[in-house]
Amino acid sequence: MAVTVAEMSQHDRAKSAAERAAIDASCRGPVLVFASSAVFWLLAGSMLALLASVKLHVPYLFTGSAELTFGRVRMAHLQAVGIGWASLASVAACLWLMCRLSRAELIYPKMLYLAGALWNIGVSLAVVGIILGDGQSVEWLDAPPYAPPFFVAALGIVSAWTVAVFRRRREPHLYVTQWYLLGAVFWFPWIYLVAQFMIFWSPAVGVVQPIVNWWFGHNVLGLWFTPVAVGTAYYLIPKIIGRPVHSYYLSIIGFWSLALFYSWAGMHHLIGGPIPAWLATASTVGSMMMFIPVIAVAINHHMTLLGHFHRLRYSPALRFTVFGAISYTLVSFQGSLMALKSVSETVHFTHYIVAHAHLGAYAFVTMIMFGLFYYMIPRLTGREWASSVLIRIHFWCAAVGITTYFVALSIGGWWQGRMMNNPDVPFANIVAYLLPHWLTRTLAGLMLTIGHVAFAISFVMNLAGWGKQRSGGPTFFVEPEKKT
Amino acid sequence: MDRGIVIFLGALLTFSSSWLGLVVFPFRQLGQEQPYQKDEGDIPYPQPLQGLALAGMRVYQHNGCMYCHTQQVRSEKFGDWWDANGEHKTGADIKRSYGLRRTVSRDYIYDNPTMLGTMRTGPDLANIGVRNPSEPWHHTHLLNPRSANSWSIMPSFAFLYAREKIVGSRSDKALSLAREWTVDPGYRWRPSAKEWEAILARQGDSLVAQYTAGQPAAIDITTTEGKKRLLEFWLTTPEEEYQVVPKAEGEALVAYLLALRKAEFPLPEAKE
Repeated sequence: MAVTVAEMSQHDRAKSAAERAAIDASCRGPVLVFASSAVFWLLAGSMLALLASVKLHVPYLFTGSAELTFGRVRMAHLQAVGIGWASLASVAACLWLMCRLSRAELIYPKMLYLAGALWNIGVSLAVVGIILGDGQSVEWLDAPPYAPPFFVAALGIVSAWTVAVFRRRREPHLYVTQWYLLGAVFWFPWIYLVAQFMIFWSPAVGVVQPIVNWWFGHNVLGLWFTPVAVGTAYYLIPKIIGRPVHSYYLSIIGFWSLALFYSWAGMHHLIGGPIPAWLATASTVGSMMMFIPVIAVAINHHMTLLGHFHRLRYSPALRFTVFGAISYTLVSFQGSLMALKSVSETVHFTHYIVAHAHLGAYAFVTMIMFGLFYYMIPRLTGREWASSVLIRIHFWCAAVGITTYFVALSIGGWWQGRMMNNPDVPFANIVAYLLPHWLTRTLAGLMLTIGHVAFAISFVMNLAGWGKQRSGGPTFFVEPEKKT
Repeated sequence: MDRGIVIFLGALLTFSSSWLGLVVFPFRQLGQEQPYQKDEGDIPYPQPLQGLALAGMRVYQHNGCMYCHTQQVRSEKFGDWWDANGEHKTGADIKRSYGLRRTVSRDYIYDNPTMLGTMRTGPDLANIGVRNPSEPWHHTHLLNPRSANSWSIMPSFAFLYAREKIVGSRSDKALSLAREWTVDPGYRWRPSAKEWEAILARQGDSLVAQYTAGQPAAIDITTTEGKKRLLEFWLTTPEEEYQVVPKAEGEALVAYLLALRKAEFPLPEAKE
C-alpha cells in the first residue's frame, strides 16, 4: 500500500494491540471450530487418499469390500479434503482476516457455531454416504443428495457473516485481501447452487451436465480456493516481514484480471470431447489470459519479499506461505500451457492431471492454509506452538512429499498419454509402466500423512494449552539473530 | 461510491459473463437436441436406458467406475503418434477400437448423470457393448479382473456375486471359472501345503484318475513334483459343490455395459 505510516507513539501502539486482542477474542470460538474441524477432515482425507493410492498398485487390498472399492474411496477423499479440509480452512481464513482487516469484531457467534455444525454434518453425510454406496459420480460434486442442503445453509451463513463484518468495518482503507475474500464468499455460493441445480435438482440434458460440472470444478479452485489463498498470502507476507505490499496497482490488476479470466477457464477439461469446439476454445483463451493475474501476483509477492528472504529460515508461517505462493505461480503457468490443444492431446485422461490438481490444491492452497494456521492459531488461543520440531517435521514432510508426488505423477502421466495416443502400444504395457509411479505416489502420500499427523498433534497440543504464553514471541525454526 | 459496491458489481459482472457464456448459452444451444431418425419409421437413436440396464447404470455410478473409465471417443484428428515407419498419424481412440466414430453431444441426450469421465486408468467404455458383447466374459472379469487379464489392476467386484452351494444342478447363470477364482471370490485362491496334503489324502486317487484321463503321461503323487503338477491341474477345474452366480446388481451392471453402444450408430454430425 502506498501509505506511509508515521512511527506510532507508545500509547497508540498499546491501543492498537488492545483492539487486535479484542477482535481475536471475538473470533476465537467460531474460527477455532472451523479450524479444528478442518484439521480433522485433513486427517480423514489423507487416510482415504492413501487407501485409494495403494489400491492402484495392490489391487487385492480390501478387494472384497464394497465400501472400500477404489471408486468410492476416491470420491470420499475428494469430499473430505475439498469440502472438508480446504473449504473449512478457507472459511476460517475468511472470517478471521475479514475481522482483522476491517478492524471489526465478529458478532452473533452462535450462528457461526451453527454453520460449523451444519457444515460438518454435511461433510460427514457426504463421506459416509459415498462409502455406503450413494456417491454421485459427478467430479467434485459426488456428495449424496442429502448432504448439499447442509453445505448451502452453512455457506449462506458464512458468506453473510463475512459481508456483515465488512459492512461494520472501522478501517476506511480497503486492503486487497478484503477484495479477494468478498469475491470468494460471493462466487462460491453462486457456482455451488448453479451446479447443484443444473446437475441434480433439475438435471440438464446430456453433455450440458459435464459442461456445468467443469465450470464448477474449475471455478471451485479458481474462484473459491484461489482468492482465499492468494488473499491470505497478501496478508501474511507483508505482515510477517513488516513492510507494505510492493505495488497497490499490481494488486488491483491481479484481482480484476483473475475475476474476469479465471471464470472462463474450465472447459478444456472436456477438450476433444462431445461438446461444441468453441467452448473449449473460449476456455483456452481464458486460460492463456491467466498469465496476467498470475504474473501480477508473482511480481508483487516477490518484490515485497525482496531483501527479506533470510526470514524464511526461522518463520514457519512465512515459509509455508511462500512455498504456497511460489506454487501458485508454477501451477498457474502449467495450467495455462495445459489448456493448449497440443499439450492437452497428450495429458488429457492421464495422471498428469492428478499431479497438476495436487500442485494446485496442495502445494498452493493447502500450504498457504498451513501458513495461516501457524500464524493465526496462537493469536486465537494465546499460546505459542509447543514444539518447533513438530513444525519442522510437518514442513519437510509436506514439501518433500508434494514435490515427489508431483514429479512422479507428472512424468508417469506424460508417458501414459504418449502411449495411449499410440494404438500400437497394448494397454497392459501402459498399466505396467505406471506401477512404479503409483508406488512412488503412495510413498509421497505417506510422507504427507506423517506431516499432517505432526500438524494435528501440534494443533491439539496448542488447543489443550501446552506451549508457552504468547507474550514471549513466536515459535521459530531457529531463533533469529538479535539485532545489536 | 462505496468501495464495497464497486467490488460487488465488478465481481457480479465479470462472473456473469462466464456464467452466461459457459453455462446459459450451451444450455440453450444443446438443451433442445432431439434423437436422430433418418427416415420416418426408423427407430430413433439414441434410446433411453430401461429396466436392468438402467439399474446397472446406478451400480456404475455409485461405485465410481467413471473415475477410471471414460465414455467418450475422440475424433480421428485428435491425439497423435508416430508408427513403426516413422509416419505421423492421428486418431488413437478409433484405432484402439474404442468406437467406430467419434461421440457427439446427441449420443448423450438420455444420459443422467452424463458420465463422460476424465481419466483412463482403464480403457474407454463408450462402446464396450459393441467391442465386447460377451456376457459371461464381463461377469468373470468383474468377479476378478485378473482372471481375464493377469496384468489388470482393476478392483475385484466380488461383492456383486454370491458363492452358493449347488442344489440339484448347476445354475445357468453360474460363472464358468476354475476353483482358484471361485473358492474365495475376488481373490486368487491356493490351498496351503497342509490343506493340499489333506485333500490328497482324501481324494488323491480320484484326482489322479481325472488328471490321467486327459493327459498322456501318468503322474506320481508320492513325489513333490507330482503333487505340484496335480495341484496346478486341480486349481483349473471347477468346484464340484459350489457355484458363483451374479447378484441382482451384478446382472444389472453387465446389462448396462452391454447397452453401452454410443459410437456405433452413424450420425450425420459425427462424420469426421
